[in-house]
Amino acid sequence: MPTERDFQLSPIVQESVIHNTRTLNNLQSLTSSLFGVAAGILGLESYNGFLFYLVCSILTTVLFYVVRIAPTGIPAAAAAAASQKSAAGGVGGSGAFDTSRYYRSPYEFWTGGLLNGLAGFILTWTLFFGLVRA
Amino acid sequence: MTGISKALTAFGSLLLAHACYSAHEHSALQTLKAATLSLTSTASQTTATTLPADIAIETVIATLVVLLGLVLSTQPLRPIQWRVWAGKIERQGEEGFVDNNGEVIKEYIGNPFQIFENRPGFVDIRKQRMEFAEWVKSSAGAEQ
Repeated sequence: MPTERDFQLSPIVQESVIHNTRTLNNLQSLTSSLFGVAAGILGLESYNGFLFYLVCSILTTVLFYVVRIAPTGIPAAAAAAASQKSAAGGVGGSGAFDTSRYYRSPYEFWTGGLLNGLAGFILTWTLFFGLVRA
Repeated sequence: MTGISKALTAFGSLLLAHACYSAHEHSALQTLKAATLSLTSTASQTTATTLPADIAIETVIATLVVLLGLVLSTQPLRPIQWRVWAGKIERQGEEGFVDNNGEVIKEYIGNPFQIFENRPGFVDIRKQRMEFAEWVKSSAGAEQ
């Protein structure tokens, strides 16, 4: 848990935090509706539908990571060197699946959108289920 | 990038719409078949409406294509740590802060330390006093 002192030592750019969070939220609410359409067409019921949503939204996050975060990272060799330095108290590098450059906590990035898009998912899921099985 | 993502999203939406229509037609056909069957014989009403494999595959592929298009169309992220962010501005300038259309974002403020770099130097008060004295002297000489 970062303290007040940590924020004094390494300040956070608030506009960037807002921008990044909004980008991820927009993507998740759009894609959750899309997954609802797919689940409705496939005719999934009860747990299968929620499982479909879970898998798809994790896939979305991974894809977002691959497209937007991974290409801007430090290469693995440099990251390994940097992590050795960070063990010695230096500046830390970015390992695999490290989101600290763009998001304040990894939980916010990996699981933050699950509940966010659930309502949209259920809405379009039921709508398209009803439309297709008319 | 933006052209590819738009094309992918459009193509995927088309596939999804087609899959949706196919699924609807399939279920309509099933209901019709069940209705005609029940007219001729007392068959059970349990219409096993499992979706044909091609429609299911089309739906999944369409979803993935649209998903890829949407992910590619997201805005580039910006560093949240001040030192990384300021370093990016210093190194790349405006080029590091463009949106998908290649235009510089509205929030771009340039160098955050500009106010320090543009401040005026010290005023040389002795030199100004000398100049003023010269001016007074010369104007006094002109009057006489």
